Amino acid sequence: MRNWIRRLSGQSPGKPQPSGTPLPSEMRSDPRMRTPLSAALSENENILRSVYADCSDAVFRRFAVGGQTSALLLYIEGLTNVEEIDRCVLAPLMLQTDQPPSGPPDQLANRQIPVSGTKPVADIAGVVEEVSIGNPVLLIDGQTGGMAFSLPKWEKRNLEEPKAEPTIRGSREGFLETLGDNMALIRRRIRSPRLKMRSMEIGRYSMTRVAVAYIDGLADPKLVDEVMRRLQKIDIDGILESGYVEELIEDHPWSPFPQVMSTERPDTAAAGLLEGRVAMLVDGTPFALVVPASLFTVLQSAEDYYQRFWISTAIRWLRYFFFVISLLLPSAYVAILTYHQEMLPTTLLLSVAISREEVPFPALVEALLMEITFEALREAGVRLPKQVGTAVSIVGALVIGEAAVSAGLVSAPMVMVVSLTGIASFTIPRYHAGFAFRLLRFPIILLAGTLGLLGIMLGIIAIVVHMCTIRSFGVPYLTPLSPARGSMLKDVLVRAPWWMLNTRPQPVGQLNPHRQSDNQRPGPDTGGEQR
Amino acid sequence: MPYNGKITPVQMAFLLHPTIVATALLLVPAMTERHAGRDMWLSPLWALMAGFATLLTAWALHKRFPDDTPIEYSERLVGKTAGKIIGVLFIFFYWHGSGSLLREYGEFVSGTFLMETPTEVIMGGMLIIAAYAVRGGIEVLGRCAQIMVPVVVVLFMTLILLVSRNLDPYKLLPMLEFGILPSLKGSIVPQSWFSEIIAAAFLLPSLTDRSKGLRWGVITLLFVAVILSLTNLTVLMLFGELAGRLVYPVMSAARYIEIADFLEHLEAIVMAIWVFGTFIKIVVFYFLLVQCTARVIGLSDWRPIVLPVGLLILISGIWTAPNLQQLVHALGTSIVFELLLIQLGIPLLLLAVALIRGKKGAPATAK
Repeated sequence: MRNWIRRLSGQSPGKPQPSGTPLPSEMRSDPRMRTPLSAALSENENILRSVYADCSDAVFRRFAVGGQTSALLLYIEGLTNVEEIDRCVLAPLMLQTDQPPSGPPDQLANRQIPVSGTKPVADIAGVVEEVSIGNPVLLIDGQTGGMAFSLPKWEKRNLEEPKAEPTIRGSREGFLETLGDNMALIRRRIRSPRLKMRSMEIGRYSMTRVAVAYIDGLADPKLVDEVMRRLQKIDIDGILESGYVEELIEDHPWSPFPQVMSTERPDTAAAGLLEGRVAMLVDGTPFALVVPASLFTVLQSAEDYYQRFWISTAIRWLRYFFFVISLLLPSAYVAILTYHQEMLPTTLLLSVAISREEVPFPALVEALLMEITFEALREAGVRLPKQVGTAVSIVGALVIGEAAVSAGLVSAPMVMVVSLTGIASFTIPRYHAGFAFRLLRFPIILLAGTLGLLGIMLGIIAIVVHMCTIRSFGVPYLTPLSPARGSMLKDVLVRAPWWMLNTRPQPVGQLNPHRQSDNQRPGPDTGGEQR
Repeated sequence: MPYNGKITPVQMAFLLHPTIVATALLLVPAMTERHAGRDMWLSPLWALMAGFATLLTAWALHKRFPDDTPIEYSERLVGKTAGKIIGVLFIFFYWHGSGSLLREYGEFVSGTFLMETPTEVIMGGMLIIAAYAVRGGIEVLGRCAQIMVPVVVVLFMTLILLVSRNLDPYKLLPMLEFGILPSLKGSIVPQSWFSEIIAAAFLLPSLTDRSKGLRWGVITLLFVAVILSLTNLTVLMLFGELAGRLVYPVMSAARYIEIADFLEHLEAIVMAIWVFGTFIKIVVFYFLLVQCTARVIGLSDWRPIVLPVGLLILISGIWTAPNLQQLVHALGTSIVFELLLIQLGIPLLLLAVALIRGKKGAPATAK
């Protein structure tokens, strides 16, 4: 905080800030950056050439406006739409004008350059900032300002289905790597101008653009300020993925649990905004960060809200059940086989004992062996090229399945336990959140191997205590279960039909608690027997 | 001087309920039976008297000093020196209390399930997690209780439901064969357990809605009485007068569970669930011990002493009794008077002083 104030006051107050966003400190510390553009073009060009020394992709195009006044167009090759520059900037200025330009450059732009997005720049930093995002900047001799045109163009992939969070019913659009496109994807879902997008640049060298989206009137201004404050505190050389930002703004950096929800789906991000949350979009990342998050935002899928509420409720319970299975099944197996054999019915105990007869390891070692192999297979399946990936999964299925059992290294029930656990961990809709539980499984297996069911209980208690301790942007992680919020449980224990979900989740949506008007229960007799 | 953080009245109830019930389920039914015989199910209801007396005393004092815990208002009522002495009494009481409570837990687990694991390991493992929770402060404790206690209560009710087909109501008869005296005698041990509601005096100042404190305290007491009475009824209808000879009658009752001729011997699961409740109790005692210590010494921050105090609790747990039999004997005899004296006697004394000094026109109810 103090650091940020110092940085703010470091900027000379009277100087124009054309970009509107605070620049990374690395750039601000460079005295050249703070130089205002002078009227002499050659002077500006010298500074810019020294800034862009050894940048072979920076193009300095000298030309004459109307055949007399010299001008400079600066852009970066590959980031800028060169055809449009030729057609809309160079052609009108060079061919269709024969008088020298008069007045400030924005008047010239308004008269002669048919480009929709224009922006005046006043200092070197402004020029650099515009050029770096692909906007060509025009400087004209004799005038103290430049003009940036919004003509970026670079290779990018097309809109695709979100790979990590697919749904059967629901939008097929996923976020892209381009900030502008991602902002548009959200804007297309929430068209009200009350959807605000504040942007800033983070990263001394990467100068990554980050946009903070929220809905004015729904999101608590204190929350928005807190998000902005934490983002502005970041001072790092580069942001290459939203994961950097996530780790730098968390409340409890040592916790294994994600305290920021990351989503690839614009509809999930928009739903978060409508609940009063704040979304962060990071340029170059197809994942939006939504805060505050809780355990239950992590266990819910977008599709829960798109299909019939009975099905969603049932699926939610299925998910909670398998969430517990994924955390506890291997350790429960180890504990029962090691300490509490009497809990198994006799027939089951006999068949387990027979299958374990040839296995040389104790249950704990067997479980650890298989779980680690399974995690390795999964990791290999993700990292390897697609063609090899299938081969790995076939080999893996053979190795940890049939062959291991017939070789007498592991028992068949253990293989079942491991595969059930694996399937269960895939039911957690957010892949990244599942990591925490995959990781916590191992200490619990060790506890189960040393203290039996008591060890499992101690593990669970430790996890519950930890989850009760952490907060995400001030919201306790287990909201609404604890601290209990009765009205919110209908979106956690069940998925109530939309006509019952009248209030926004608390305390996130407390600024504007009512989501919709009451009495919306549909029926054939509209208006007749309403509640 | 409330603690850092606030809890809701419901969270307070969830903290106080296992503070009484968790260990009362273990040893108290058998101890009650020895005096009350077939009327043991009435004893928890008589024991409500001590509970209400303690709660109302705590409430009356809280009304006079809404922002203070007993440590602070005892100093303001009886003077600095005497107040410090009362504070030290509370420290030693909670030290001994948490130690013997931890020992009960350790003896129970090592006596029934992990017979070869040293008790110190079992107690130490629990204390480490408890220390982590206590460091989180009162809000974390409230949230933990709100998650864990409903689970425990629901599963405990399920347990009673599953055992119910083995129950024989005729074992209750004849009722009140020797009048109400045996059940009153049997209620002495539960009385001392009910006086543990004094923990409310420490929690009331940090409630979000103080006006509801008394209501939720009363609900807690009634609910505790219902649970204990129901337990005693179940145990009695299952074992008859044999219940007094069992060390852990509830655990023995769990052996009767049988679901669909397939799942049997679920005691380990019952034990595991019970650990939830005990955890809350240990954490409450631990937290109060840390708070009392920090306040009596006058520390500005209590967090640094959490771990050292935990080590002392472990030592107290080892010292408190040489074996389970001695511990049970102490719990049924001398500890009863210790509990009642500290948890009911001292607050009553403080209230009396407050009333007298209030009459003299020197109101200590400044705030």
